[in-house]
Amino acid sequence: MSTTETIATGTDTTTGTETTTGTETTTGTETTTGTETTPADSSERTRGPRIGENAPRPDGVPKVNGEFAFGNDMWIEGMLFGRTLRSPHPYARIISIDISKALAMHGVHAVITADDVPGQKLYGLEHKDQPVFASEVVRFHGEPIAAVAADHPETARRACRAIEVEYDVHAPIVDAELSITAPPIHPDGNIFRHMFIRHGHPDSPESEGVVAVEGDYEIGMQDQAFLGPECALGIPLEDGGIELYVSTQWIHADREQTAACLGLDPEQVRMTMAGVGGAFGGREDISLQIHTALLTLHTGRPVKLQYSREESFFGHVHRHPAKMWYRHSARADGTLAKIEARLVFDGGAYASTSSAVLSNASCFAHGPYNVEHALIEGYSVRTNNPSCGAMRGFGAVQTCFAHEAQMDKLAAALGIDSIDLRLKNALKTGDRNITGQLLSGVVPVAELIERCVAHPLPAMGEVGEMMGRPGGAGRTADAHHIKRGFGFAIGWKNLMFSEGFDDYSTARVRIDEGQNGPVVTVHCACAEVGQGFVTLAQQIARTVLGLDEILLHPADTQVGSAGSTSASRQTWMSGGAVQQACEAVRTQIFASLAATHGVDPETLAIQDDHIVSVDGTFSIPVEDAVANKTFEATEVNRHVQTVRLDADGQGDAHVSFAFAAHRAVVDVDEELGLVRVIDITTTQDVGKLLNPRQALGQIEGGIAQGVGLAVMEEIIVTNGKVRNASFTDYLIPTTLDMPTVTIAALIEEPEPGAPFGAKGIGEPPTIASTAAVAAAIRNAIGRDITRVPVRPQDICL
Amino acid sequence: MPIERIAVGLTVNGCAVEQWIDPCAMLLDVLHELGLSGTKKGCEMGACGACTALADGRRIVSCLALAASYAGAAITTIEGVGTPDELHPLQEAFIDHDALQCGYCTPGQIMSALGLIAEGCCDRATIREGLSGNLCRCGAYPRIVAAVAEAAGL
Amino acid sequence: MSGVAFAYSRAADVADAVARGGAPGAAFVAGGTDLLQLWKAGRATPTELIDVYGLGLDGIGVDGDELSIGATARLSDVARHPFVVDQHPLIAEAVLASASGQIRNMATVGGNLLQRTRCPYFRTAGMACNKHRPGSGCGALDGEDRHAALFGAGSSCVATHPSDLAVALVALDATVEVSGARGVRRVGLSELYRLPGERPDVDTTLAAGELITRVLVPRAASIGRLATYVKVRDRASFEFALLSVAAVIRIDAGTIVHARLVCGGVAPAPWRLPAGEALLIGQKPERGVFTVAAAAAVEGAPPLPGNSFKVELLRRALVRTLTTIATGS
Repeated sequence: MSTTETIATGTDTTTGTETTTGTETTTGTETTTGTETTPADSSERTRGPRIGENAPRPDGVPKVNGEFAFGNDMWIEGMLFGRTLRSPHPYARIISIDISKALAMHGVHAVITADDVPGQKLYGLEHKDQPVFASEVVRFHGEPIAAVAADHPETARRACRAIEVEYDVHAPIVDAELSITAPPIHPDGNIFRHMFIRHGHPDSPESEGVVAVEGDYEIGMQDQAFLGPECALGIPLEDGGIELYVSTQWIHADREQTAACLGLDPEQVRMTMAGVGGAFGGREDISLQIHTALLTLHTGRPVKLQYSREESFFGHVHRHPAKMWYRHSARADGTLAKIEARLVFDGGAYASTSSAVLSNASCFAHGPYNVEHALIEGYSVRTNNPSCGAMRGFGAVQTCFAHEAQMDKLAAALGIDSIDLRLKNALKTGDRNITGQLLSGVVPVAELIERCVAHPLPAMGEVGEMMGRPGGAGRTADAHHIKRGFGFAIGWKNLMFSEGFDDYSTARVRIDEGQNGPVVTVHCACAEVGQGFVTLAQQIARTVLGLDEILLHPADTQVGSAGSTSASRQTWMSGGAVQQACEAVRTQIFASLAATHGVDPETLAIQDDHIVSVDGTFSIPVEDAVANKTFEATEVNRHVQTVRLDADGQGDAHVSFAFAAHRAVVDVDEELGLVRVIDITTTQDVGKLLNPRQALGQIEGGIAQGVGLAVMEEIIVTNGKVRNASFTDYLIPTTLDMPTVTIAALIEEPEPGAPFGAKGIGEPPTIASTAAVAAAIRNAIGRDITRVPVRPQDICL
Repeated sequence: MPIERIAVGLTVNGCAVEQWIDPCAMLLDVLHELGLSGTKKGCEMGACGACTALADGRRIVSCLALAASYAGAAITTIEGVGTPDELHPLQEAFIDHDALQCGYCTPGQIMSALGLIAEGCCDRATIREGLSGNLCRCGAYPRIVAAVAEAAGL
Repeated sequence: MSGVAFAYSRAADVADAVARGGAPGAAFVAGGTDLLQLWKAGRATPTELIDVYGLGLDGIGVDGDELSIGATARLSDVARHPFVVDQHPLIAEAVLASASGQIRNMATVGGNLLQRTRCPYFRTAGMACNKHRPGSGCGALDGEDRHAALFGAGSSCVATHPSDLAVALVALDATVEVSGARGVRRVGLSELYRLPGERPDVDTTLAAGELITRVLVPRAASIGRLATYVKVRDRASFEFALLSVAAVIRIDAGTIVHARLVCGGVAPAPWRLPAGEALLIGQKPERGVFTVAAAAAVEGAPPLPGNSFKVELLRRALVRTLTTIATGS
């Protein structure tokens, strides 16, 4: 062991790391088949797992032995260390910024501000309204003002402290409702989006049923809280461009925004995915990409910028806090007559994806139910709170909490069972949603509900040992004060990007002769953030091509965009692109066989590892058919065109929909206000299970985040200032907080148009799990719960 | 501002190393200086467990361990678990149960579980409490507990 | 990483530590789990750390009529030591409700008693905090005050003491042995802590350079074994207390003859509730008695807007703790 050794430079056959530009920089792993355990000279090849099988992660071994290189493991000789100076105020006018003392410090190579941004001064995913650095006004606590590059992280930190900023501090606008009519805090105004969805004739007298219930609901600000903090490494190129390694969800969008601010052509910004330590929506927006690139170009030196945990809380967007008013009106038989809602989403200082989040919240505001009439009014609003954007569930989480509470309330008012009420109104294939879109895909709402509630409950019996009771390791439990409650909720959302977005993914597939037979290389810019796309890509290639050795090229901008790893879209979009590229290669292989063997390519198919003709007269191992040949194809997978909602919120805005139901069992210590989520039983429509074990992991993980929002997770912002930017104070569930997850049913009904019929599965587990837990708490204590996260005082006082 | 570096002898994964360190350095940073990046920096405040390593067989959070204070200690990191050719049974169990997604917390989970098993864990409840110092935001908890239970012979 | 650089040395022995520990800028370090967090946050700025981790002050044993726990005994060792488990399982309960397995392997008894508040205004650089710098103001008074104190706070500071162990030890009438320039002294743990007053930056009555060497707890025979620790928080594990209660009672011939009610997370120090204790003495260990005592115990607590719920929550936790002891469940 030596002190000069850098990181993870080992290159065994399964975990080869990519080395760039002849330096010692390593990036996220390049992975070959994880099943390849045979010696290199062996002629025996292991059959790799196909679609539908429990394929192991190709990056599993490096992740369990510590070799996997995440963003902050990147290192290159001679690199400088970046640091960001951030505003201590949520709203202030900047009177002056004096960088002279910082710049004069020994070891400081650059101090940059808005003046040093050569290209566009503003950026944004949907709407360019966020300054790269604030120069005149700061609009949220933690907004970047300057950045420093120095020879040591400590020097950079001191240099940031030496920058003198004079502020004229203003009272922040922190109430979204008030902000709607307040003087604008940004030249683009305070309203990111104001929209209506009018369905049926909500203003007509006939729209009113005989029973109505109303409610106000509120949801706190949740953080993605991924474990691996943001990091980027920039390396200047001789042509004036830059190479940027970053842990992100969408490198092409990063490149586009970064290049615009640098004043470079996108081609001059080469980006490569670094290992991503979780994302959950929090890496969809720009955080440190542009700052890193600016420092790199400014100094002409490699620069690494990484966030501490505290800075991570300031550096990325959060889930929108929301206030929602609802009114449900029903006919005597339980038919939903009308749903009215007014949604106010606090988008914080800058737009991020606030418009799309609100659209989702509004489109799914009625729940997966038929309703005769609806009037949904939605606002997403600018305030001086931290910016909010994408997080798993993307708008649907907030309204699900409200619409499911309303359904329970309505059932009680009608005097009918809440499950029966849901079943009576359940959407099904062929129905239209409130935007008028025909639901032509799989819509198994009734089956999901029925199978979820039919599943046997966990045994009542003993309330478990101490650790399993409310209060956990706090030893508070007294079995006499524990009440068990049950709650049900079902939610839905769209898969893929909506409202006319040109959403596509690109994959390049190549077959070369390797040392030990043919090797398939899959090149796709899809961000692997833990969801298992790398596993799936291998399974798809094996299944389509009948070959076993699949190499994954690092995700980078040398291939077209794969779009974002979000919106539960990558299995469909990038999985589909890989499938199409493999099929294009397969067509080339068949054509080559036609030339060499005189077979009709139209009659050929790949069955397992052989190419066979339909009449059975021709058969050749795929390996032999491609031996010593090269094939390559690049395909772009686009989903059907969607449209932007019109002024009445009408239009075919979405591609496909996914649904999941949750039944929560909670034990509540009603005296001390403590909750223990015992079990979540779930059903989900998955289309087809491509990798059952990984699918279950997504479901369990999504539920963990839903449970967290229900009972503990909230960024505390008082008067615009974040009070708990740490893992000590921002609580996420521990192992002891995690309920058992019981899968009652995964409905495998292929979705038309989806590769292999598979629906995205990442988000649905997070949508209704929060609502189900809240319902279970209400059931246990017999009191209303209208805000999450639920805290002790909400339960017992 | 610079304070003199001090010499510290450690045994890291069985190898004796003598390192000149900053007296303010955390063990986590010294491990990284040694090229051992498998020990992850998640929060730097002892709240997430991603940096868990063993010191004389006991699990600690290396982000709050003053390296100078550990002079003479035997440190085990994830790189010292298993061999390049053969994973440790607990690592195998993590693979078999798919007890990870993004993998950032995984080395810390494994090191913490090794320490916990050495402390003695008799049932799954003990494992769950015992691993509550290791956050997993991907929510792989049920699988992590299953993998640890298997490795603990439960 | 972040604070101002410090020099580091290991103390040769207690005398050496005490001789050097009083110097301006000097601080003792053992497990470091709290001090180093504060240092990283820029809220502790020692120029010299004197390491007492290796001084052998980690013994646990019986000394005459007392249980003796060395100041650098690791929390995990304390929690599983047979003497502790046998004599005062309350101590083990409080320790096991604290922190994580890793932190318990590092943190020491002395460090735990001397850890500083978790108030976010104290822990975060750039925020107004009189405990950090007297006169700079108290952000919690008109800010996020859910975790603020119910008892013992002043207009300068509403921070709470976060230790679980200290709450249990006060309930057991523990004393600490302190070495300093003027020799060895013993001080009741309750007297170790001071209220903020005009000097919220000073948490304890220790003189500069004084080092806690051990904690002494009367053996069970003299104070009874009916005790438990209850901790209420927002997460099932690995979180500081929203509030906690340690209660100890001794029953003779069916009536309570000794009682200690101490709560944590609600005051600048572990907080005894003498009014509640007094109402238990001479009474039968019954829920009705507990309810009356608990109500008296919390009477007069002056809450802030965001923490007023804790008064009622504390009352209930007191009843719960006493009931748990009485029923043995």
